[in-house]
Amino acid sequence: MCFKTWHGYKPDIMDQLTSFTYQTGKSFLHMLDVRCKIFSMGLLSLSIIKADFASLALTGVIIATLVINAGIKSVVIFRDLKYFFILLIFVFVARALTTDGTPLIIFFNISMTKQGMIIGARICARFLIIMLLGMVFIKTTKPSSVKGAVQWFLSPVPFIPEKRVSIMISLFLRFMPFLIKQTKQISNAQKSRCSDLQPNPIKKTARLCVPLFKKTFQSADRLATAMEARCYSEDRTDPEFIKSGHETIIYLATLALSIIMILF
Amino acid sequence: MGTVFTDKNPKRAYPHFRTFKILLSKLKISQGKIDMNISNQLRMTVYASLFAALIAAGAFIAIPIGPVPIVLQNMFVLLAGIILGSRWGLACVSVYLLMGALGFPVFAGGTGGIGRLFGPTGGYLLSYLPAVYATGIISEKLQKTMANDIIAMVAGSLIVYAAGVPWLKYVTGMGWNKAVTVGMYPFLIGDIIKIIAAAYAAKIIRPIVKKQ
Repeated sequence: MCFKTWHGYKPDIMDQLTSFTYQTGKSFLHMLDVRCKIFSMGLLSLSIIKADFASLALTGVIIATLVINAGIKSVVIFRDLKYFFILLIFVFVARALTTDGTPLIIFFNISMTKQGMIIGARICARFLIIMLLGMVFIKTTKPSSVKGAVQWFLSPVPFIPEKRVSIMISLFLRFMPFLIKQTKQISNAQKSRCSDLQPNPIKKTARLCVPLFKKTFQSADRLATAMEARCYSEDRTDPEFIKSGHETIIYLATLALSIIMILF
Repeated sequence: MGTVFTDKNPKRAYPHFRTFKILLSKLKISQGKIDMNISNQLRMTVYASLFAALIAAGAFIAIPIGPVPIVLQNMFVLLAGIILGSRWGLACVSVYLLMGALGFPVFAGGTGGIGRLFGPTGGYLLSYLPAVYATGIISEKLQKTMANDIIAMVAGSLIVYAAGVPWLKYVTGMGWNKAVTVGMYPFLIGDIIKIIAAAYAAKIIRPIVKKQ
């Protein structure tokens, strides 16, 4: 057991997290203005609720082209979305079983209808395209520029302190790897003290969580003190955006695509 | 022996004058009293971001008890309501949902994207907003004992199911019986364990947060 812990490769939380993050590159999407990307993603995600098979196929082809251009491997997509596919299968089966119509496949008393399958396939295709849009966006955009764009979008909204939201986002991005590192460290420390022999899972979790909470909250406290000591204020430099020059085309294409989705 | 500025221009006499000015404005020295309001706000901002990160991390940590694994995500949402209060809890969950909507992999199973908010489980995610607010308000009104924490968290998790199950029924198009069987019954035992665990966790965390 000790040998396995020390030398054996064990896929952990870190692998799952890094698989869905930013990839460096110089493709068309990498160079595009962040605000343009967020606008297009939001508009397409909202108008896709009305889309039918023809416009879904068109959007799928466009996204596939962009994915190949951005240099994202299809293996990575399948690995990242594997839990999502299970959810899609569940939605499809639920729709197929509950909609009335001509039965295609009949088990004992349960029948899968043709109409139900068509409705289920359409809904699954919509979810899949929305997921792919989000994934392509996050793979081609730096987290810090997402933060800047969020601040830019929230600045005209009243009653929302956009600068505080942006500092919360950057603190959030800082705390994520920190939490994972702490969890790993503490669980390794427990393992070296033979916590694997403890049969009770609740006790095991409690022994992991109590020091984790104490450590993370104390370090958050220290971070707040450090920020205060360095004169942190909300009077900060505004983010800058770099345009690639293709924004107008993308805006027009997005508008055209969403009109096609809503009408056909 | 007081400080004497030989130069009339304070910027030249004190090179970090801007920093000094910010520090003064932060401390808000009025009538000899130091207002610690702003520093408290900064502290709460840091804690709210930490809780948003904990909610995201909770979506990854799964304890295998029974057929359905327990995900710690909604435990941290309820805990945020109790520790941070209604206003900061709401801010924390909003930041979490915003990050998810932008596509960061913070939802259960390492996924993200605006599609999850409108998907079958979107009702549970969006219901965290009213749930954390209600939990925060109840725990602010009552005394800070363990029993009251449990009452507040039970109210919060009821709100989660009240919004999540009808949403699941509407999106997947199944009947009420099935929606409740799939979306509520398997999680109830886990929720009871989580609420008790969260009450203990609140007991550990509260002295650290309320220290000053």
